[in-house]
Amino acid sequence: MTASRTQHFTAAGLVLAVALSVTWLSFTQEPVEAFLFPRLISVVFSVLAAWNFIRAASGLAKVGTGLTIRHAGNIWPGLLVMLIYALFAAKTFGFYASSVVAFLAIYTLYDPTPISNGRGWARRVIVTIGFMIVIYGLFALLLRVQTPRGLFI
Amino acid sequence: MEFLGYFGGVFEPVSLLLLIGGTIGGLILGATPGLSPTMAVALLIPFTFHLAPAQGLILLGAAYTSTVAGGAVSAILLKIPGAPANIATALDGNEMARQGHGARALHLSFLSSGVGGVIGVLLLIFLTPMLAQWALAFGPSHLFWLAILGVTVIGSLDSKSFVKGLLSGCIGLWLSMIGFDDIYGAQRFIFTDALTGGIHIIAALIGIFAIPQVLEMFSKGRDGRAIQTIAVPDHSLKDSFREILGSGRALTIGTVVGSIVGLIPGVGGQIAGLVAYDQAKKFSPHKDKFGTGHPEGVIAAEAANNAMVGPSLVPLLTLSIPGSPTAAVLLGGLLIHGIFPGTDLFERNPEVAWTFINSMLIGQVLMVVFGIYTAVWAAKIARAPIPIMASAVLVLAVFGSYSVQQSMGDVTIMISLGVAMFFLEKFGFSAAPLVLGLILGPIAEANFNQGTLIAAAQDGPMVYFFTGPLNLLLILLVVLSVGYSFWSNMLHAPGSAKLEPAE
Amino acid sequence: MKKLMTRLAMSLAGAAFAFAGTALAGDYPDRPVGVAVSYGAGGATDFQARIVTMVAGNEDMLGQPIYIVNKPGAGGRVGWNWFSTEAETDGYMMSAYNVPHFIAQSIKGGVKYSADSFEPIANWGADPAVVIVGKDSKFNTIQEMIDFAKANPGKVTLSGAGLFVGHHIAALQIQKETGAKFAYIPTKGGGAAAMKAVIAGDVLGGINNLSDAFRAREAGNIKILAVADLERNAEFLPDVPTLMEAGYNVDNSSVNFRGLMVRKGTPQEVIDKLAAKVPEMFAHKRVAKRMKAGGSPVKVMSRAEVQTMWAERQAFLADLLKGL
Repeated sequence: MTASRTQHFTAAGLVLAVALSVTWLSFTQEPVEAFLFPRLISVVFSVLAAWNFIRAASGLAKVGTGLTIRHAGNIWPGLLVMLIYALFAAKTFGFYASSVVAFLAIYTLYDPTPISNGRGWARRVIVTIGFMIVIYGLFALLLRVQTPRGLFI
Repeated sequence: MEFLGYFGGVFEPVSLLLLIGGTIGGLILGATPGLSPTMAVALLIPFTFHLAPAQGLILLGAAYTSTVAGGAVSAILLKIPGAPANIATALDGNEMARQGHGARALHLSFLSSGVGGVIGVLLLIFLTPMLAQWALAFGPSHLFWLAILGVTVIGSLDSKSFVKGLLSGCIGLWLSMIGFDDIYGAQRFIFTDALTGGIHIIAALIGIFAIPQVLEMFSKGRDGRAIQTIAVPDHSLKDSFREILGSGRALTIGTVVGSIVGLIPGVGGQIAGLVAYDQAKKFSPHKDKFGTGHPEGVIAAEAANNAMVGPSLVPLLTLSIPGSPTAAVLLGGLLIHGIFPGTDLFERNPEVAWTFINSMLIGQVLMVVFGIYTAVWAAKIARAPIPIMASAVLVLAVFGSYSVQQSMGDVTIMISLGVAMFFLEKFGFSAAPLVLGLILGPIAEANFNQGTLIAAAQDGPMVYFFTGPLNLLLILLVVLSVGYSFWSNMLHAPGSAKLEPAE
Repeated sequence: MKKLMTRLAMSLAGAAFAFAGTALAGDYPDRPVGVAVSYGAGGATDFQARIVTMVAGNEDMLGQPIYIVNKPGAGGRVGWNWFSTEAETDGYMMSAYNVPHFIAQSIKGGVKYSADSFEPIANWGADPAVVIVGKDSKFNTIQEMIDFAKANPGKVTLSGAGLFVGHHIAALQIQKETGAKFAYIPTKGGGAAAMKAVIAGDVLGGINNLSDAFRAREAGNIKILAVADLERNAEFLPDVPTLMEAGYNVDNSSVNFRGLMVRKGTPQEVIDKLAAKVPEMFAHKRVAKRMKAGGSPVKVMSRAEVQTMWAERQAFLADLLKGL
């Protein structure tokens, strides 16, 4: 199963856009000495990105499976939890509190056991707490890492 | 043969206990994504305050040896390399695990680590004075070409498409330039505050390898049938031994490449595995099998990254120059006890120096034994259902990337790079070349800048970068490497009209 | 249902890992204190910071252990930028300072801090810059090197740990005093990389830390020509002349002072407590023994002395770096 031409075209276009903006920045920013090496690299980067774009536009790019609707549908709830957890909750509510919630949320979202099953809930809570105790032991007690505490812990 | 006289020190009860504890602890820390060998050794330094010099070094030596090998466990079972050294192991190791050969891959990885590691330490014992001169021969221009040589490896590494492999490498090189420039202090490509510190290699490594795995697990949905991540059936250890003995070529290439690369200060063990993997592939009659779960890939990569441990200490022990971040931390461990490495270290403190080296030798053997035991446990953990695995890897990734520098910015970078990598991989870009670019970028740039400045004071950049036997040799290798990749790509290009049979 | 369970899990976790709430300044410190080091693990600053903080947990010191966090990059700029803008001001995160590095960087601009962003606590060490050459170098005295540099402007390559660090300041001072012109080569990777360049012969000479140079000379790899300080170092290098003795008017402005500081805005009680206890900690017997063993020169200075020293450096560097 290969991704559609449109998908490859979009991906290659985005990479080319990044390459061109990196090149533009490298040649316009000061001081010149610090941007010598970026100039060297960004030119190669742009040439390769352009080559890749031409291949994608002419339908030659065939490597990569692309993304199907079904996969995207499966991914987004977990991705949402992941982003909220790592980018916002971990700092705001504290590492341990938000990790417990994120762990349980993802486990619940992707656990095949029906959501109404009481024993399923019990198992998920026990596994979550057990895992977090291991994490606490490893990071807080053994390695002495001070994590942000936020509102909770 | 002087070192034989100092084996007694290793087998004293306290030393042996430290050796075993260091090995097991190192294996576990190494297998945890986000805890690199450098960090593990740095974390152990305070413990050595209370120990005698030789004993403290035994602990550090054992931990160094086994964290490097321990990183292979998560690389094979989860496709998440524990440290940069294990990236190449993940390429074939994880494919093997997916095909039900996880236990075999783990056995091979520990056995080849052991073989490479022992040979590396023996090189350290017997050839140190000679090797020290060789390590010094590499000046800025040579290191620049060496980094470029590493970049050209990108084209043939774990990518079905030549141009996309190189492009992934370029993305990595660009990412490596983000943040403050190291010499002039100029701010480059900083769009948000999280990026002012640049992209830390460990945070990037976790994001790029672990997060796509998590998203991949999400994509299976609430599917009862796909519930098991991978099965790891038992594998006869005897068969693994036999297989290792039959893989002389991969083992030799891994050990030789690992020893040479490990020796060069500043390039270090991070790329030893990748370069050895690439060479093993080029010299193998089964090139096409690499990347599809080929045992030779695992053997070459792991032999190399443990073979580098011994030689990487040569510049440290003889010239007091730490050749790698881990060696720098070890230097601290030595200095705290008033031991100055230098040419006369072996005359002034023979007991400490030889006990340390011998402990690494014994440590390699212990590492194989305990590694194989640990592997049994690790395999059990890898059998956890997908939703648990996904949550656990995510939480570990967040904790691991935070604890490197205790920085939320690193967590943001880790997650962003990870999500971006997931989508890039869907379109044929690959993670290994990207990380290689990220590692080699700063090496290439620093030596480019330094070389340019030195050249300006001498006969100009043309003379400085393009003359001298070592420069010419490295340039030749670069040309050969690019030419080879290009040629074999043309031969196997999926779009080419003439479909040449694969070898 | 899900909401309820979530709340339950949260409260369970809360009970399991409860920490004390925000503490009053009077109880400070009631948990481990961090020290951010702006250089990598294994570097001289990191290594010394780990030694001088090792007795912090003793009852008569802080009573809480100190842990080290490395935030390396761009000659220290990354770490100090982070410290001046993002670190907590509750006293639970200190930073190691390197003078003249951070003051020179703030004068050159492009960073978010200046000497006013921080409050010094105490100084633990002073590592003078020394001029070194490889063991087979044709230069045997500092005069020979400087005379050669005058005759061949820009041909003498000198490695150092970066731009606007002590090594670079020393090179600038020598150039200004003698009129000689060097090619100063900043290396990435701190003093160790600069030392490697000298030993391997990539450069003709270098400027490096006294402590590292002392060890490299002990190992027979280099010669030390001069030390950029007001007096000879009697402890480690009694035979090496100062630049002053050699006839060049170069003072101790490039000496690398290392110590601890907190971010501006930290409560005065916390600063006072630290300023009283930390110098005691630096002067501890066990610390002194380890520092001497590692070849690291100790110089304990109180908060007031450090404030004076910072102000002097600020004025001197603003003048030296003008027009560069």
